[in-house]
Amino acid sequence: MGQLQILDHQEYATEARLSHVSEDTISGRRGALLDRNGYPLAGSQDSFDLMVETKAWSDSKNATESAAALSPIAGVPAEQMVASVSASSIYEIPVERGLSYEQAQAIRKLSLRGVRLMASSRRVYPEGNLAAQLLGFVGQDNSGLTGLESDLNDVLGGAKGTLTYERDGLGNQIAVGERQEVAAQPGANVVLTIDRYIQRLAETELEKTIEKTKATGGSVIVVQPKTGEILAMANSPTADVTKPDLSDDSKLALFRNKAVTDTYEPGSVFKLVTMACALDLGLVGPYTPWHDLGVFKVDNWTIRNWDYSANGDQSVTQILSKSLNTGAAWLSTLAGPEQFYSYVDRFGFGKSTGSGLGGEVTGQVRTPASDPGSWRSVDMATNSFGQGLSATPLQVLMSAAAIANDGVMMKPKIVKEIAYPGHIQTVASEAAGQVIKPETARTLREMMGVVVDGISPTLLDVQGYKVGGKTGTANLTVDGGGYKPDAYISSFLGIAPLDNPVLAVLVKIDEPQGTPWGTVVAAPAFEHIVEGALPYLTIPPTETALVSGQR
Amino acid sequence: MAAARRQPAAGPGVLRSPALPVVLILAALAIGVTALLPLIQSSSATSTAGDVRALEAERTDQRARLRALELEIAQLGSLSRIEQEAAARFKMGPPKAQNYIAVDAPAPEARKIPSRYLAAQADKDSDSPSLFEDILDWLTP
Repeated sequence: MGQLQILDHQEYATEARLSHVSEDTISGRRGALLDRNGYPLAGSQDSFDLMVETKAWSDSKNATESAAALSPIAGVPAEQMVASVSASSIYEIPVERGLSYEQAQAIRKLSLRGVRLMASSRRVYPEGNLAAQLLGFVGQDNSGLTGLESDLNDVLGGAKGTLTYERDGLGNQIAVGERQEVAAQPGANVVLTIDRYIQRLAETELEKTIEKTKATGGSVIVVQPKTGEILAMANSPTADVTKPDLSDDSKLALFRNKAVTDTYEPGSVFKLVTMACALDLGLVGPYTPWHDLGVFKVDNWTIRNWDYSANGDQSVTQILSKSLNTGAAWLSTLAGPEQFYSYVDRFGFGKSTGSGLGGEVTGQVRTPASDPGSWRSVDMATNSFGQGLSATPLQVLMSAAAIANDGVMMKPKIVKEIAYPGHIQTVASEAAGQVIKPETARTLREMMGVVVDGISPTLLDVQGYKVGGKTGTANLTVDGGGYKPDAYISSFLGIAPLDNPVLAVLVKIDEPQGTPWGTVVAAPAFEHIVEGALPYLTIPPTETALVSGQR
Repeated sequence: MAAARRQPAAGPGVLRSPALPVVLILAALAIGVTALLPLIQSSSATSTAGDVRALEAERTDQRARLRALELEIAQLGSLSRIEQEAAARFKMGPPKAQNYIAVDAPAPEARKIPSRYLAAQADKDSDSPSLFEDILDWLTP
């Protein structure tokens, strides 16, 4: 008796308390992720976890009967429930999570001993897998694991609370028993810059292009150059956030937002940067003549055009419209390594864009300063047409967005507003800097218009609007160095409308089969996206397009 | 004999003492009522607390129902469903060509974020305990 009441008093008191006192962690309602117009892309639905006391089910008759009653409501086989409870050594375990309000009501009516419902919540994606990799998903504890769900977890998650209470034999709270509650705080709703319509448009066109070209994947990003707001960010192949499958690494990799986590050699779209450098330094103008011999010598290396052509007398604009590697190498030589890499840096290559998206990488640019031991002049020559350096699709797109925005590069922005309970925080757009002069940007835009004019209307003809752009076809690098034979990345980097751009779009297609040229593979997708997005954004078409009849 | 058994009459100014059994009964009743009072109070408090918990549970359930309905509305308004309905019910399809005409009217205002997704006012009632919760706190150690 002395042992029980005096010596081991504390131990037994604790055990007694544990047997009739429960402490539940209460999660505040997780905030929603909304598109720029307030449509929910991810929201939380109150749900219930079905908890079973292991001791209550130690009686096999009670366990079998209770499980049989619960099974049709919870949708879990009775044997599975009994097995999981009997295998558990802890006081209470969840046998099913995320039950609906109706399911909870039905279970409550059963009044089963040792069975109770714990309030919880589950993530719902009203638009399905739209922007899946960008949004990410949450784990069982309602914490974000990937994408924006993870990046914004502190904002969305709110603060957890606790509820401590005495319970009766059925596990229900005793009315006048001990009860302490620390209230949970709800998370904030986050309004993204994503537009669900444009996002869907981008995803649809990406999938169509991949299917048509039998490509292995790709990315499409749409931004507003003046604000840096990302309107769409699509990747393929994509993941299922509604039922995440993490059974192996390959499936886990599907949740990577490749628009910021993966790099590639951008290829000829990078000629815009080289051209911007040469124009901005005043070394050339759009009509400066240049003679293309089809080869350009750098040290002991020979640079050739993509089609091995020799074009003779050309203007600088034609270097861009014909995508001449030799011309780009010449322009970079005119600028010299110091100036050339200064512009590469200004355009944000080799460093983070500041998007804030998790897993964003910087890409690699070797310069005489960063790698004095092995950097050679031929590196700059190949860099001038987008080879020998790596960048993320977002970095590539932001360079075009700077040209579209009179030379002002904006930081990419994904969060527009954060709606806390009681107040709204608006996220301002932020300029990264003036990377080229406004007049240089205007000249470049005109040159991008010339590039599009040179593309067959069967491949690119945006009805009602004049647009500009640059194609790219790059070799696919492999791990460990070198290129994968006969494997390319085709891309189209464009702005629209040309005179006052409101959209900058990158379409990047990985390993298309057949003709790999960006003009053939990626430009049609750009056309469809712009044709759908501009009228949707109420951007008036050019006056010549205002006709009463069919074009 | 009869006269001898007669009780002497009380004189004027003398109070008759209540019989002991009556006193005991009254005392027992007083003790009983006194003992019953906390029991009645406790029972009443228990009953009220039970009602409070039931109402709280109902509020939680109704909130859950409300949020489920909100998300159902969102799902009904999803682009994929709109497209599906447009194609299946109204036999609509993508346009074969786009024509632009000038209209002498201002563009419609930009859409606003539906109020149901904006920050809700903090529930002041949930910040401070109710009267019954105060009573329960006072009653329970």
